[in-house]
Amino acid sequence: MVQERKFLKGPRLRNPADYDFPGLQRALKMEPEEVIQEISESKLLGRGGAGFPTGTKWDMAFKEEGEFKYIICNADEGEPGTFKDRYLLDERTLKVLEGMLIGAYVIDADYGYIYIRGEYFKSIKILQEALEEAREAGILGENILGSDFSFDIKLVRGAGCYVCGDETSLLNSLEGMRGQSRTKPPYPISKGLCGCPTLVNNVESLACVAEILHQGASEFATMGTEDSKGTKLVCLSGDVNYPGVYEVEFGSSTLQEIITDLGGGPRKSHDIKFVIPGGLSTRILTRDKLDYKYSYEGLEEAGSSLGSGGVMVVGSEQDLTAILTRIARFYMDESCGTCFPCREGNQQIYKIISRVGKGKFTVNQLEIIEDLGNAMAEAARCGLGQSAQYPTGTILAEFKEELVEGAVY
Amino acid sequence: MLQQDNDILLEMAHDIQDTYGYIPEREITQLAEKFSEPRAKIYGALEFYSMLYTEPTGKYIVRICDSISCFLHDSDEVLEAVQDYLELESGETSDDKLFTLEVVECLGHCGEGPVMMVNDRMYTELTSGRAIEILSECQ
Repeated sequence: MVQERKFLKGPRLRNPADYDFPGLQRALKMEPEEVIQEISESKLLGRGGAGFPTGTKWDMAFKEEGEFKYIICNADEGEPGTFKDRYLLDERTLKVLEGMLIGAYVIDADYGYIYIRGEYFKSIKILQEALEEAREAGILGENILGSDFSFDIKLVRGAGCYVCGDETSLLNSLEGMRGQSRTKPPYPISKGLCGCPTLVNNVESLACVAEILHQGASEFATMGTEDSKGTKLVCLSGDVNYPGVYEVEFGSSTLQEIITDLGGGPRKSHDIKFVIPGGLSTRILTRDKLDYKYSYEGLEEAGSSLGSGGVMVVGSEQDLTAILTRIARFYMDESCGTCFPCREGNQQIYKIISRVGKGKFTVNQLEIIEDLGNAMAEAARCGLGQSAQYPTGTILAEFKEELVEGAVY
Repeated sequence: MLQQDNDILLEMAHDIQDTYGYIPEREITQLAEKFSEPRAKIYGALEFYSMLYTEPTGKYIVRICDSISCFLHDSDEVLEAVQDYLELESGETSDDKLFTLEVVECLGHCGEGPVMMVNDRMYTELTSGRAIEILSECQ
């Protein structure tokens, strides 16, 4: 029976008067290099979806020089099926703030921004209050906690744009432009906000940092597998009895166990048809592939990826074309329109799928969708277009018999 | 467009919208002057964001999620009921300027679907009946 392993989760933490910021206190007594060393030893991987080693990223940001340096907390959580950052922002508010302060101290950032999605009205209010109270308590501003370190954070509200979760789009958005992605390189680490070195971290990554500095890298590294250390906030939704945010130690369980033991199994259907394991932009896993350990390498072995941790369970009685239509509409609506493979490709895929409606696909239509998906994967500028084919392509491939007119496979 | 720490276009736009309910043309002109940019560029930036409005909206902006997780909990039925009740399609505003209806992508409450937002309030685990009850109380 899988149980939660609570490392990030805990009681509500919003008021600086109730919290002494142990991770930050410890970090301020260390040299920046030592903090980076500790983060690297913990083997923390970025929790936003891409899984880049946080220690490496911080080391690069530390070594960059510029007139100004910025740190940004990416709280533009918009990946369908993902709501873990909202949990952390609402309930563990000061842990996120603490992680950001540690990052700012380490890379010697001049200023910080929290870019939060505009629809999170409640979280915005909580953060606004927490930031104000942190300033009053001397956690933000000049000489934080009596040290030489001075820093402040501005909260910036997004305005309903999924692609701004991509760090380069986020930077353009912060600079007052359309939230369109930039070509990389240069990466934000060297040329980010207004051309200055900028460290962008996900909410959950920053909360992990705060706990690692508090409880120690060795404690963190006792949890998980060789390649996936620590815990992950898993967002269970879709056809399960008990949806919600669960904290799972890497390698301790399989997706099937998470769905059955924590989620209580399918709610409406007899059986699971497939699972989207890491937010919408990941390849689906059919029910025979749910017995791999829940870890970065486990889900890769299964043929998908851990992504953002948004696990969406689709029951056996669901209408596939209706699901495909919604996936296609999402990518079409959210494409920023800068690069044509993504802009045109997603429109054409949506047109084809919505034309099929309640009918069946022809083999030719499947081929066109596959071609378009491959072209986007090769040529789109950012992750949105590149990964648009993952859910659609894998659903079409796995359920051909059901979807194609007169199919004999 | 280099900005000072406290001059973020998005935040200023939000503040203007919080005051007027949308971003009037005269404010766009002022923003353009402030940032020394052409009005078209400011307008183009604002128009990019689905939550910023350069035209007046209804008093209540009703956002219904019809993304995957909510759909798995029959958001399509809630949406249809709301569309029938308001007699609006996505993106439309009622003649009496009371409601603007928007079908939106994931609102980050995937475990509690179907969900609907009315202005800044979130309603979860909706049924069609409950959704209409909520809207009928909006005057």
